[in-house]
Amino acid sequence: MRDSDDELEAELRQLAARRDPVPAQLHQAAVDAFSWRDIDAEIAELVYDSLLDADPASLVRGPADQRLVSFAIGGMTIDLEVTGVGPGRTVMGQIVPPQRATVDIRHPRDTVTVEADDLGRFRSGPLPSGPASLRLRPPPGADGPVIVTDWVAL
Amino acid sequence: MAVDPDDTGQLVRGAAGGDEVAWRGLVDRFSGLVWAVARAHRLGDADAADVYQTTWLRLAEHIRRIDHPDRVGAWLATAARRECLQSLRAAGRVLPTDDMDRLDLTPLTGNPTEETVLAAEQEREDADRAALVWQALDRLSARCRELLRVLMASPPPSYAEIAAALGLPLGSIGPTRARCLQRLREEVAGITGGASSSN
Repeated sequence: MRDSDDELEAELRQLAARRDPVPAQLHQAAVDAFSWRDIDAEIAELVYDSLLDADPASLVRGPADQRLVSFAIGGMTIDLEVTGVGPGRTVMGQIVPPQRATVDIRHPRDTVTVEADDLGRFRSGPLPSGPASLRLRPPPGADGPVIVTDWVAL
Repeated sequence: MAVDPDDTGQLVRGAAGGDEVAWRGLVDRFSGLVWAVARAHRLGDADAADVYQTTWLRLAEHIRRIDHPDRVGAWLATAARRECLQSLRAAGRVLPTDDMDRLDLTPLTGNPTEETVLAAEQEREDADRAALVWQALDRLSARCRELLRVLMASPPPSYAEIAAALGLPLGSIGPTRARCLQRLREEVAGITGGASSSN
């Protein structure tokens, strides 16, 4: 049976390649992803996502309403509240411990820069849905590491 | 130094060192797998595109910190699966749309010259068979459809990558593959014979 299994598997593989291939522009986007690396930055990893980690029974407010996402590195966390506005997204952020920072909100088509205030709070304007990552830089005149968050689909 | 495209660990180490050719090699090697994971979770075009792109962006950022470079395929499959589950949750659904339904089953047609008549005939038969197999796939259980859709990726994924893609134990992949291929064979035979076999 093994040979015929291998033959059927090969036939399925041909079928998939012909009928549901990776779209060419996506393949190119994956190639281009390499240029988004920030090799000097430290990575704040995704540690909480209410969509995945919250008890489903507690998600009574509806799917696109509000989502909480947290990233952590060392003793620092970056908490995001993501709100859906039609096809767009708005992000309100909180850096803990509170501190000023310049925050680049990166997505594949653009980067939007906002400032976190003394209390570590920042907020974006409307963003497109899809992949996004934050880069936190020390405020002008200050020293400190550059931190990027994991990419998440907003 | 030339990078061996088959040596995954070497591609990861090359990309970690900034080698764009090595990165392109990784994309070529695992692009089909990441896409198949999204499709196995029955995501539509837009959601599948987000999963695919987010997964590759995440790997690019993590490329210098991959613990087991030779197992980066499983890393990608795991990351893609997590993105799929998040996407399904965000959409408030666990029963995604049926991507099998909107596949174009129209055979490709060339110029109907004498030389191409025989080829066209063969092509039509191939297309008929393809439509049949595709239809049979859709009749399988969700577990079988998911496993076969990941298995169908080009180039062929390893069992470890399939297990990571679907959150299944590694030891279950071989037996499940054999069982699902057999079920598919039965469905194809059932459709061909005009009888609709029960699932």
